[in-house]
Amino acid sequence: MAFATAQSPGAIGRGMAYALLHRRKLAPYLYVAPSVSLFFLLMLYPMVAVFRYSLLDGAILKPSPKFVWFDNFLQIFSDPVFVQAIGHTLYFSIMSVIFHIIVGLSFALMLNSDRIARPLQSILRVLYILPWLFTAVIIAIIWRLILDPNGVINAILMALHIVDFKVEWFSSSRTAIHALTFVNIWAGYPLYMVTLLAGLQGIPRDLYEAASIDGAGPVRQLLHVTLPQLKPIIVSIALLDFIWTMQVFPLVWMTTGGGPIHATEMMSIYTYKAAFSRFQFSIASASAVVLFIISMSMTYFYIKHQKAVR
Amino acid sequence: MATVSRFERRSRLVTLLLYCGLAAGLVFACFPIVWMFFTSLKSNTEIFALPPRILPKVFTFEAYASIFSDTAKLRFFLNSYLVAGVVTLLTVVVALLAAYAFSRYEFRLKKPFNLLVISTQTVPPITLLIPYFGMVVAFGIFDTYYALILTYMVFTLPYAILLMTGYLNTLPKDLDEAVLVDGGTSWTALWRVIVPLSVPGIVATAVYTFLLAWNEFLFALTLTKSMDMRTVPIGISLLMGQHAFEWNEMMAMSVLGSLPLLILYLIAQRYFLVGMTAGSMKG
Amino acid sequence: MRLLKSTLLAKSAALALALTIGGAHAETNLEFIQWWEPELPAGALRGIMDDFEAQNPGIKVTLISGPYANTRDQIVVGAASGTLSDVVGLDGAWVNDLAKQGAIADLNPLISASGFDVNEVAAVIKVGDGSYMFPVASFVYPVFMNLDLLKEAGVDTMPSNRTEFVDAARKLTSADKNQYGWVLPLSLESPNGIQNDVMSWVWASGDSMLKDGKPDVTNEAVVGTLEFIKSMYDEGLISPGTFAKKEQDKVEEFVNGRVGMMVDSLAHINLIRERNPDLNFGITAVPAVDGYTGKRGLPYASWGIGVSANSEHKEEAFKLVSYLMSKDVNAKLVSIANAFPGNVNAKPDFVTSDALFGKAFEIFQEGYLANEFVGLPVAEELMRQMDVEVQGMLEGNQSAAEAAAKTQAQWETAF
Repeated sequence: MAFATAQSPGAIGRGMAYALLHRRKLAPYLYVAPSVSLFFLLMLYPMVAVFRYSLLDGAILKPSPKFVWFDNFLQIFSDPVFVQAIGHTLYFSIMSVIFHIIVGLSFALMLNSDRIARPLQSILRVLYILPWLFTAVIIAIIWRLILDPNGVINAILMALHIVDFKVEWFSSSRTAIHALTFVNIWAGYPLYMVTLLAGLQGIPRDLYEAASIDGAGPVRQLLHVTLPQLKPIIVSIALLDFIWTMQVFPLVWMTTGGGPIHATEMMSIYTYKAAFSRFQFSIASASAVVLFIISMSMTYFYIKHQKAVR
Repeated sequence: MATVSRFERRSRLVTLLLYCGLAAGLVFACFPIVWMFFTSLKSNTEIFALPPRILPKVFTFEAYASIFSDTAKLRFFLNSYLVAGVVTLLTVVVALLAAYAFSRYEFRLKKPFNLLVISTQTVPPITLLIPYFGMVVAFGIFDTYYALILTYMVFTLPYAILLMTGYLNTLPKDLDEAVLVDGGTSWTALWRVIVPLSVPGIVATAVYTFLLAWNEFLFALTLTKSMDMRTVPIGISLLMGQHAFEWNEMMAMSVLGSLPLLILYLIAQRYFLVGMTAGSMKG
Repeated sequence: MRLLKSTLLAKSAALALALTIGGAHAETNLEFIQWWEPELPAGALRGIMDDFEAQNPGIKVTLISGPYANTRDQIVVGAASGTLSDVVGLDGAWVNDLAKQGAIADLNPLISASGFDVNEVAAVIKVGDGSYMFPVASFVYPVFMNLDLLKEAGVDTMPSNRTEFVDAARKLTSADKNQYGWVLPLSLESPNGIQNDVMSWVWASGDSMLKDGKPDVTNEAVVGTLEFIKSMYDEGLISPGTFAKKEQDKVEEFVNGRVGMMVDSLAHINLIRERNPDLNFGITAVPAVDGYTGKRGLPYASWGIGVSANSEHKEEAFKLVSYLMSKDVNAKLVSIANAFPGNVNAKPDFVTSDALFGKAFEIFQEGYLANEFVGLPVAEELMRQMDVEVQGMLEGNQSAAEAAAKTQAQWETAF
C-alpha cells in the first residue's frame, strides 16, 4: 500500500499495484488495507486514551494525574447508581431486542401472507418502515409531545376509559423506563422487519408443501419451518441490536435525562454525566470501559454464532 | 360439505384477523409520524390546544416557509447531503474491497482483522468522544467536512463490511476464478464480475450507510461548530432554544429531513431486501 | 482505494490553499462562543460585533452560537482538549470548574495591562484570587402571573407571601379544565429548575443554603421551602409531568394558559409576547415566608463573559470583553435583552424595553441579587443531586428533612 501510494497515480504505479495483486499472499492485505488503516488511524488512539484515563486519577483535570490501577472501577462499582444503571441498560436492551423480534417478525409474517393484495402489500411495506427513517433527536421530540401528560395518548386513553388520570409517562419513576423502552421498540423494529421479510421470501416453498403434506397446520408450519429457517438471521441481528441498544444515548438523554430520580439511568447516561457534568473524566472512562467490555462479550457470541452459521 | 364451509369460514376469519393486525400495525408505525406531519402544519399555540386535535384548525405553511427562506437552514440540508453522500460512496468502495478479501482469500491475519472489524462496532461512540475530539483537533480537521466524513466512515464500515462479506459469500467462487484462469487479475475479477453481480449487496450497504450518516447526532454536534458545517439533526436541535421549542419548525425540518431517506428507500427497496438478508445470514 | 487516495490529495491541496490565504491577511480572527445570539432578536448580536469590528480594524469576530445546553457541551469538550474559543460566554455555574481546569484565563493581568476600570463591573466572579468572569447582562427571576386567569379565579391581589401564593394556586387549579396554579420543571437533563424554581424561594426570604461557603442545606429555611413545595405538589396544585419537564415546557404551559403562575426569567418577556400576543400577564417578586419584611433576594442568571486560557489573542479578546462591558454598548445590549446591565453606570433604555421591565426594576431596587450556585464547584451536578432528592421527596419516598440531609451529604463530598 505504502509502495503504491508513494508513486504518482500514473501508469507505473498502477502497473505495480496490478503486479502485486497477482500474488495471492499480498492481495488480501491490499484489499483490507484501506479499512484497517482507517481503523488504526482513527480508533486506536482514542481507545488507548480511554483505557489509560480509566486507570488514572483525575485525567485531563490534573496536570500530572497519578496512576491508580483499578480504583476508578472500584469506585463506580460501589456507586449504587452505576449498578442500577447496568440493570436498567440490560432491561432496556433485552426488552427492546425481544420486542423488536416479536414486532418485526409479526409484521414480516403479515406482510408476507398471500391473503393480502399485492399493491397493498407494497404500500404497507413502505409505511411500516417509516420509523426507521427518523433521527433520535426527532424521535425523542415527537414522543415527548405525544406522551406528555396533556398529550394525545392520554387524551385517547382517557376517552376510552382505559385510564382515569393523566399518566406521567416519562416523569413517573414507575412508567419512565417502560415508556422509553416502548419508544425504542417503535424506533428499531423496522430493521428486523425488513431483514426477516427478505428472509421469509428466501425460504424454499417445498418446505411448506412437505410440511402441509405431513398435516402441519399454519402454527406448526411457523414453529417447525419458518422459525428454524429464520433463526440464523434472527440471532445475528438480535446480537448486533443488543450491542447497539446498550449504547443508546441521544434518545434517553433527550426524553428523560436518566430520571426521574435514577429510574432511567443507563450506562451511557452515567458516562456522559460523569464527563460533562462532574468533569470526572477518569470515572467516565472507567464506566465507558465497562460498557465496552460488556459489548465485547456480546461480540464474542456474535462471532461464535457467525462461525456456526458458516 | 359442512367441513368445507367451516374451513372457508375459518379462512375468512383468518383473513379478517390479518387485516385487523395490519391495521393495528399501521397505527402503531405511523400514528406518531402522522402526528408529526400535522404538527408541522399547526401554529405554535395550536400545538398545545386541549384536547389535542390531529388536524390543524388553520393549516399554515409558515414553518416550511421559514425553513425555505433561511439560507442557513438550507445549508444544513446541503451539508447533510454532501456528508452522507460522500460517506456512502467511500464506505461502499472501501467495504467492498475488504469484503472481497474476507470472502475470497485465506490469509494469516484474516482472523485478527475480522475481529478488529467486528470489535470496532462494539465501541460505544460516546466513550470515545473526548479523546477523539482532541485527535480531530490535532489533525487540523475540526469543524470541516473531513472530520465528519472520516468519523462516519469508521462508524459505518464495520457493519458495511459484514453486510458486503455476507453478500459476496452468496456468490459462487467459480465466477471470479474463471477470470483468474483466463489470465485476469483479482482486481479485474472484482470489478468486472463481482461488482455487477453485487448490486443488491451494494445497495443495502449504501442505504444503511446513508441512513446512519444522515441521522448521526453526537459527533456532528461536537466535531463541528460553525453554522456552515451543521447537519440536519443538529439543525433540528438548534430549534430547541434554552427557553422555547419551535415545535412546528422542528417537525417541518424532520419531515423534510426524512423525505430524502424515504425516496432513497423507495428507489432501493427491491435490492435492499435481498442485500440485507444475505448480509445478515452469511456475514 | 484510488478514490480514497484522491480525496486525501484533495485534502492536502485544500489545506495548503487555506494556509496561503490565511497568511496573506494579517488579521486577527476572534471566536466568540455563546448561547446569546439565538435568544436575541435576529441580527442583534451580529450588529454589535460589526460595530466592534468597525472600531477595531484588524479584528474580526466569528460568532459560534447555539442553544444553551449545546453551547455548554461544546465548552466542556473545548476546555478538555484545549481548543476553547477565544472569548467564552459563561454561566456563573461553570466558572469554578473551568477556572480550576485552567481553561479560562485569569482576567487580572489583562485588566491591569489595558487599564480597564473594574469598578464599573457590577460583580466580578472570582475563584481564589483570580477574576474569571464579568456579568454582561443579568436576568432576574420574578413570578409571572396570568392576570386573566387570576381574575377568573377571583384573586385580585398579587400574592406576596407563601400562604397567599398557595391560596392563589388553589383557586387557579382546576384539573377538569386542565389548569393548575404553579409549574415546576425538574428534568434531570438540565437541572436548572433547582436553582430557578426551588432555591429561589429560599433566597426570596433572605435565607441561604450555604454557611461560610460550605453547604448548609439542612437548615430550617431550606427544609421549610421543600416542605412548602411538597405540600403544593401533594395537593395537586402543580401541573403534572414535573419530573420530565424542562424550562421550555414551563414557559410553553404558561403561554398557553395552562398554569396561572410560574417563576421565570425576565428574558422571556419577548418570547411570551411573541408566542401569545393576547396573553395578559404581570410580574411580582417571589413571595417570601409569611411575616418576612426584610430585603428579598432576587434569583438571577447572568450572561457572563471570560477569555480562553488557550487563546493566542488574549489582548484582542479582552478588547471585545471590555467593549461589551463599556457603558453605552452594555446599555444597548441589555435593553434589547430585557436584562439588567453588567456595567453599573450603564442606563438601560426603559423606553424601548417592555413595560413590565419598569416594574421589574422596582422589584430589583427593593431587593438584592441572589444566586448561591454562582461560582460553586460542579454547580450543575450539585443541582442534579438535589434534583434527584427532591424528586424522591415528591414521590413520597422520603421527607423534606431526609431529602435535605441526603443532599447535604452529597454536597459535602463535592465541595
